[in-house]
Amino acid sequence: MTSLMPLTTVFPGLVWLMAALALVQGLRRAALWRVGAAAPVAWLDGLAKLPKRYLVDVHHVVARDAYASRMHAVVAGGLLAASILTALAILPPIAGFRPYWFVVALAFGVTAVGSLLVGARRYPSKQKRLSAGRFQILPFLLVAYAVGGTATALLLAFGIGGVFAPLALALAAAGGLGLAFEVRHGPMRHAAAGALHLVAHPRPGRFEGRPDTALQPLDLDAPRLGSEMPADFTWNRLLSYDACVSCGRCEIACPAFAAGQPLNPKRLIQDLVAGLSPAEPAYAGNPYPGGRQAQGERGALAGLIGPDARIHPDTLWSCTTCRACVEECPMMIEHVDAVVSLRRHQTLERGALPDKAVGPVTELRQSGDPGGRPLSARTDFAAGVDLPVMAERGGAEILLWLGEGAYDLRYGRSLRALIRLLREAGVDFAVLGAEERDTGDLARRLGDEATFQALARENIATLAKYRFERIVTADPHALHALRNEYPAMGGRYTLAHHTAFLLELIRAGKLNPARLPDLSVTYHDPCYLARYNGETEAPRAVLDAIGVSRSEMARSGKRAMCCGGGGGAPVSDIPGERRIPDIRMAQAAETGAGIVAVACPSCTAMLEGVTGRHAEIRDIAELLLQAVEAGR
Amino acid sequence: MKIVVLLSAGRHPVSGAPVLPRMEAQAIRIAAALGEAVGLHAGPDAEAVREALGLGLTHIEHIAVADGLDPVPALAARLAAMAPDLVLAGRRGQGGPESGIVPYALAEALDLLLIPDVVAVSGGPDTLTLDQSLGRGALRRVAVRGPVLATVHPDAAAPLAYAFGKARRGTIELVGAAAKATDVPEAVVEERPYRRRPKLVKGAPTGGSAAERLKAATGEGGSATKGRLLVEPDPEEAAREILAHLRQIGVLADASKSAK
Ligand code: SF4
Ligand code: SF4
Repeated sequence: MTSLMPLTTVFPGLVWLMAALALVQGLRRAALWRVGAAAPVAWLDGLAKLPKRYLVDVHHVVARDAYASRMHAVVAGGLLAASILTALAILPPIAGFRPYWFVVALAFGVTAVGSLLVGARRYPSKQKRLSAGRFQILPFLLVAYAVGGTATALLLAFGIGGVFAPLALALAAAGGLGLAFEVRHGPMRHAAAGALHLVAHPRPGRFEGRPDTALQPLDLDAPRLGSEMPADFTWNRLLSYDACVSCGRCEIACPAFAAGQPLNPKRLIQDLVAGLSPAEPAYAGNPYPGGRQAQGERGALAGLIGPDARIHPDTLWSCTTCRACVEECPMMIEHVDAVVSLRRHQTLERGALPDKAVGPVTELRQSGDPGGRPLSARTDFAAGVDLPVMAERGGAEILLWLGEGAYDLRYGRSLRALIRLLREAGVDFAVLGAEERDTGDLARRLGDEATFQALARENIATLAKYRFERIVTADPHALHALRNEYPAMGGRYTLAHHTAFLLELIRAGKLNPARLPDLSVTYHDPCYLARYNGETEAPRAVLDAIGVSRSEMARSGKRAMCCGGGGGAPVSDIPGERRIPDIRMAQAAETGAGIVAVACPSCTAMLEGVTGRHAEIRDIAELLLQAVEAGR
Repeated sequence: MKIVVLLSAGRHPVSGAPVLPRMEAQAIRIAAALGEAVGLHAGPDAEAVREALGLGLTHIEHIAVADGLDPVPALAARLAAMAPDLVLAGRRGQGGPESGIVPYALAEALDLLLIPDVVAVSGGPDTLTLDQSLGRGALRRVAVRGPVLATVHPDAAAPLAYAFGKARRGTIELVGAAAKATDVPEAVVEERPYRRRPKLVKGAPTGGSAAERLKAATGEGGSATKGRLLVEPDPEEAAREILAHLRQIGVLADASKSAK
């Protein structure tokens, strides 16, 4: 028996050693986050909510890939349980209790099964979206630790010693210490950084069940505007990028990546990670489309953006800010915030907007409309329609915000339909007319925070002059700006998207649509309505109320694919191999629906612009009007 | 090379908001590519041209000139002191109180060579190469020696994007005030609100094939290419040529007809 005594100490000791090594490696990495700017973090609150954030919010995302979810539960659960149980055995009474080691062996056994599941994703051939590099060693380390651990625990349970013990222990040590070593640069960093990231998340509102999607306002008096180098990010943002597990879920969700534009959100996050430290191992996932692989300088003070830096400006301007990557990221990383922060520096400090975007942003700044059109012409679409103006009325129950789409001939049709529906339902509404300026959405997404704030102030001053209960708009970009981003500028309003408002009118019996069962419709969710505002049900309920036969695209609701119209991408116009709206229309065609229902002026314009499409593009308001007219 | 860009207080053509005239923003882009450029503004308030600091200038000199006073003497005095190699200005005003005559008045006051309608400038400081727009895409390249004043044509490269951070860092320096009230040159122009008019193509064939009419309308074989190039002509001859041209395009009445 005496020969066993060392093993019962050495084995738990190994786990303690692993923990110590992981801590050292983690601290070495954490030292780098300290170059970041300060950020307010509610530590106690975050810590208390960590289990819920992990088990509910993270799991909700992970579970979309059933295999990955099971794999992770088994391997991570097993690893944690086995390691903690073994570590506890440093106490002699536990170590001497043989049945305990059966339990430990069971936990290691579960880990071993999980390790095989991990390996099966990578061998014989790796899933395309996963990164190679150090991640390819991970299954071996896991298997070594799990199998070595199982064997050691079993030996202890049965009380067998001899030559097997050192062999099993050595295997467990190789795997275990390897895993702990990987906490600094390798796959295991995601566990340490991920947990801390959940505690210190820059958008804690995400976990409270409301969409926390408003861009944070930039202090225009700050000495440096936006992010140029890693040190310009706050420390918890640097931490969040380190949480990236290179799973590539963001990559397959990204419309710009699918269109072959030079953007890959995974690579972008990994470039932010690598930009921080010259010691970071080489990136081993799919590259930016277009094959650009510049290395650039690295370090806390190295510029991140430039033709020869790690991130090419075209990468930055390809993003449509659709948030699909954020929605899919199991590590809750905020890609869009990173993109906008980098854009802010390019635009505000360097005036380095993409050439084609300079005109619209300049017009926005100088005339309050990206097309430089007279503000009084915004209501031209309604020629012949009685459109009450706030300035003449002083107030109305509903303020109808028209948005930039009003200048567009095609979209004018949707707005006219909406106005006729409002009249039909006897709604007391008015528009701002020539007093309505652009919300500044385009400027803000393109990084021109100064113009956004100036426009927001002007609009807020205008809105303060009138009495109204709610603002209704058919433009989800305006909705997002007014509802979520204006409060930080001092303007608080109750907003309703026109689809939600029309649904209310139907439910209140003020609109009595007939049923149009002959129409086959598929609904395309606007990013700024579904992902930015969590509204996916109202438009579908309106369609169901008019009894069309409705089918869903493979990607719909909060996981829908972008039309390519957001984030200033249409004005930046970064070339790719395909066009995003073409891809989306092909997805719509798969449903066989004759009509693609839309609820956003940008979507209307982007999808209508697809050549050779067979489906019609109709706004929800247009379809409802058709049903209401049929019901007369 | 020392470059001065003349800045004026303009208005946005649609919104009427105070903005830097686009052609001056284009002039800044040309200047910023050539070397260190300074902005120069004469007017009651330098805030009107602060925007230029975000468009490529780092420093603006301001001469306080009260509203309604002629800025030319003050500008001329300052330019004489600065002795720049190149002065750039817009070719016309944009909604503000100034007009396109200012560069000409300055060129006259300073005895400077004026090259109008420039779209690009390179070289310097001794010899400058300027590309001059002749309209409809036609360009003429001129090489000049010594200080020159050039006005910028709208066909020049588009203005740089406005950078808020740069505008914040740029400086405006008050370098003086108009010494004495000089009379504004009497307004010789009559002001009327703008009215869009159909474009008449003088001398376009009314008959002929559609292709011929198109050719005439789009200027192929139009004045830019049809003209005669006279190198250092005799003044008499030059005047005759100009008069003949003006009659041909219908600006002046035909001498033979008016004589009757
Ligand atoms: S926001 Fe959309 S376009 Fe931008 S990186 Fe994410 S998925 Fe790609
Ligand atoms: S950013 Fe998120 S979704 Fe993208 S690879 Fe990293 S962990 Fe996966």
